[in-house]
Amino acid sequence: MSEHRRRTSPSASGRLLRNALLIVLALWTLAPLLLLIVLSLSRNWYAPAVWPSVWTGEHWGRLVAAASSQREALLTSVALATLTALLACLLALPFGRLIAQSRGWPRRWAAAMAFAPVAVPPIALATGMHFSLLKIGLAGHFGGVLVAHIIPAAGYLTLFFLGAFSAYDLRIEEEARTLGATRGAVWRRITLPILRAPIGDALALAFLISWAQVPLTLLIGGGLVRTLPIDVFAAIRAGDDARAASGSILLIVPALLAIAGVRVAVRRTGVVGL
Amino acid sequence: MGFLATRRRPAATSRVRTRTGMLRAQTFVCAMVVAAISMGACTRDTRATSTSSELRVMTWSAIESSARGQTVTMRMWRGDQSINQFMDTWVAPHLASEFGITLRTVEGQGPEIVNALLLERNARANGTADLVWINGETFSNLRREKLLFGPWADRVPSAALLDSASPIIMRDFEQELGGLELPWGTVQAALIYDTLRTPNPPRSFDELARWIHAHPGRFTHDQAFTGVTFLKELMYALNGGVSKFQGGFNEPIYTQASAKVWQWLDNTRNDFWREGRTYPAGVAELHRLFANGEVDFTMSNNQNEVITKVRQGILPPSSRALVLRDGTIANAHYLGIPASAPHAAAAMVVANFLLSPEAQYEKQRPEVWADGTVLRTSSLSPDWQRKFGALALEANAILSDTLSKYARPEIAPQYHERLNADWRARIRDTPNR
Amino acid sequence: MTHSRRALAVGVVLVLPVVVGFAYALLGATDVIGGLGQPPGLARIQRVLSEAAVWRGTAWAMWVAVASTTLAALLAVVLSLVYDGTSRTDRLARALMNVPLAFPHLVAAAVGLLVLGQSGMLARILMFAGVIADSAHMPELVSDRFGVGVIVALTWKEAPFLLLINAAVLSGHGRGYQEVARTHGASRWQVLQRVTWPLLWRGMSPALVAVAVFAFGSYETMVLLAPSNPLALPLLTAERYVDPALARRNDAFVLAVLSMVIGLIAVAVYERLRSRIEDVGHV
Repeated sequence: MSEHRRRTSPSASGRLLRNALLIVLALWTLAPLLLLIVLSLSRNWYAPAVWPSVWTGEHWGRLVAAASSQREALLTSVALATLTALLACLLALPFGRLIAQSRGWPRRWAAAMAFAPVAVPPIALATGMHFSLLKIGLAGHFGGVLVAHIIPAAGYLTLFFLGAFSAYDLRIEEEARTLGATRGAVWRRITLPILRAPIGDALALAFLISWAQVPLTLLIGGGLVRTLPIDVFAAIRAGDDARAASGSILLIVPALLAIAGVRVAVRRTGVVGL
Repeated sequence: MGFLATRRRPAATSRVRTRTGMLRAQTFVCAMVVAAISMGACTRDTRATSTSSELRVMTWSAIESSARGQTVTMRMWRGDQSINQFMDTWVAPHLASEFGITLRTVEGQGPEIVNALLLERNARANGTADLVWINGETFSNLRREKLLFGPWADRVPSAALLDSASPIIMRDFEQELGGLELPWGTVQAALIYDTLRTPNPPRSFDELARWIHAHPGRFTHDQAFTGVTFLKELMYALNGGVSKFQGGFNEPIYTQASAKVWQWLDNTRNDFWREGRTYPAGVAELHRLFANGEVDFTMSNNQNEVITKVRQGILPPSSRALVLRDGTIANAHYLGIPASAPHAAAAMVVANFLLSPEAQYEKQRPEVWADGTVLRTSSLSPDWQRKFGALALEANAILSDTLSKYARPEIAPQYHERLNADWRARIRDTPNR
Repeated sequence: MTHSRRALAVGVVLVLPVVVGFAYALLGATDVIGGLGQPPGLARIQRVLSEAAVWRGTAWAMWVAVASTTLAALLAVVLSLVYDGTSRTDRLARALMNVPLAFPHLVAAAVGLLVLGQSGMLARILMFAGVIADSAHMPELVSDRFGVGVIVALTWKEAPFLLLINAAVLSGHGRGYQEVARTHGASRWQVLQRVTWPLLWRGMSPALVAVAVFAFGSYETMVLLAPSNPLALPLLTAERYVDPALARRNDAFVLAVLSMVIGLIAVAVYERLRSRIEDVGHV
């Protein structure tokens, strides 16, 4: 195979083109983050100034102030996303496994039903769900928003675990049980070790789904549950671009950390990403 | 045979084991989900909501003491950092230390508040908001749908300090308050321009039209409340003033008057920003266009917003406000209590505090919100009179004589609703010729 | 319970919120709930679905969804073919393309506004370089009829996903098929045409549907970057939901039902494509 590679190694001009394209790619992907960082440190940065004239740390200082609504929004988001990740994973793992064990049209129908909450436009889903959540008293509360976040996350993760379990041979577990292993031992010694990586990736995926969520939180939370994306959204709509920039960076950095897992996850199982 | 037998049994057993294992796992998961949700579900205050009649019988000190330890959820527009800071860093701590009330402010603009309360009622859900910041058509809609608590506003001690002679304060879009809402502040609409870019701004709608033709693409208005207020002022100007529209909504008068508005717009919109094909969603988006030099005018319902926005760094320091000689709309904004409010008594205490000279003064300070007071300053103590008087001398503010000379009152809310709906249908959603 | 029954039970649990949401939206659309004086019936549905603005908004959202998905797919295919090796350049390119994944759609849209606006960063750089005289000469890229800003923001966000799918496809059996073709004497172009492209296309097709339907319903991107006319369907739905004229509020439920129907059609298409991959075996 390496022989083959050497025979078809790129020419000098081909390499130059690839490197040039790489620079364009770097600009395309990194310039937005750079812009946000500069914006979060600036003040009165209007057109046509290409660079801010006034630099300030006030937008970041706001985060550590005594009463910081931005910091509270951050904490709410962390709590929501963590709980969504855990609960969605707990639901989706057995669900995905069950669908993976079926065949034919029930399998297809089940997979389609799992995808439905993800595919339906969130605004439409939320206007319908809002009413039922109101009736059971969850709308406008953390619990209601949590339910709203778990719904697409569980559907998404079920498809993810369906992919993971399709590659996983359940007969290994049956063999172990034939040899006398208890259910718990099978779970601990066989299933979990094999699934540890996909489970970690699934947690990261579900975390990201909740972390970046806007329309469901807006409608179900009704302004009473304020997450960091909502805070950023409100800042943009209020024209407070610098606050939006600092909030955005707070959203991006943890996500970048979680991405490491997602990248491996999708490559391994070939499931559709966010 | 023996071999086959041993092979068969384990498979069956494992199937049974798998099934019960699955069931147990799923029950556990469902239990956890329910537990997590109920953890996050509200810890609803189980004290009974005092009805309006109960509150009428209680003395004010009884109301104040019953309010101690409660949390008041206030739905207000949170699109302005200055206002948010006033509420979160001055009002809330004062309420906590003086009255033992925890104030929680949440986002909610007029139509959103109406929608939320209607949905809550349709779903027969418990109310969440105790205090709402409203005016105009929002008040009209809430009152018509009987979503407001009260009458309560006349019971509040600070109400005695209100400037009850002012028609701007005591009538909300020509509606009687009926004790269902309490005045909180007054503002007057104004245009905002940049002294560096536009040293000689137009002073009337006629001059504005000429200016727009001379500077194509440099003017527009927003789609929301401020934009519709602008259209209303235009309607006054093109129809000889406000007097024709007073005394309730009149369909033929509206049709005839608005026709002139559409005509003015049709004549000018081709020289609007983006040739009038698209409009900024709200006034904040318009501010951004103005600050970045895409348009030369922005507007506000509050003549002093330019002061706070310059301080926040959202508008350039050379921005100034101006009122057109055809008159601009002066109105008030109010506090209401939803009928489903879980803490109505505490809400009344909060409203009373917001109306106190202390809170009204702080609110009017240019470093804070620069929002006009609704109190009759002449009947306050000499100390307060001096303080309020000093506020009027802010450098960049429009002189109050100028303001009152060009102040025009609001008219019935249906005019606002119709202008809003018809503008969308006839102008925004119709391509210009 | 058999495997089939259990699988279907799982599906029912997961789809239940959608069913409930659809049911309530339908109740609102027919004025059974919250009609505010209007009697229950199909009148509202008829009125709303006969409004030109509704279909313009739906068509516009579909245009944006198709355009951004196509561009994202093109970008993903080009990048996965150019940087498919293990050299440092290849790994760096793939690592860079992970960055947009960390951005919420909202932030990507906000950056789009700041960069592509008529007085945005791109305009300022062009003014600085003397290419344009002032912001008025900058072409309209946000709040414009063709949704350029929306399309760019969505493409920026979605291309990395499709790139990941392509990487998964190529790292599976794909590499093997390519090698076999080469040893049988196929030229590079023939391999690309007959082996690589069909593989990628088959592996990507469910993802394309998912990306397109997500773009179609993408509220936060459109609220910042889309024009007011034609008003995209998600924006129109939100506008009617809080309409000051209370009688029009239930229109939002009609639009929600419409959006959900489109979403469910996408689900059906997605599932057909996904199962086709499974039937053939891992790609």
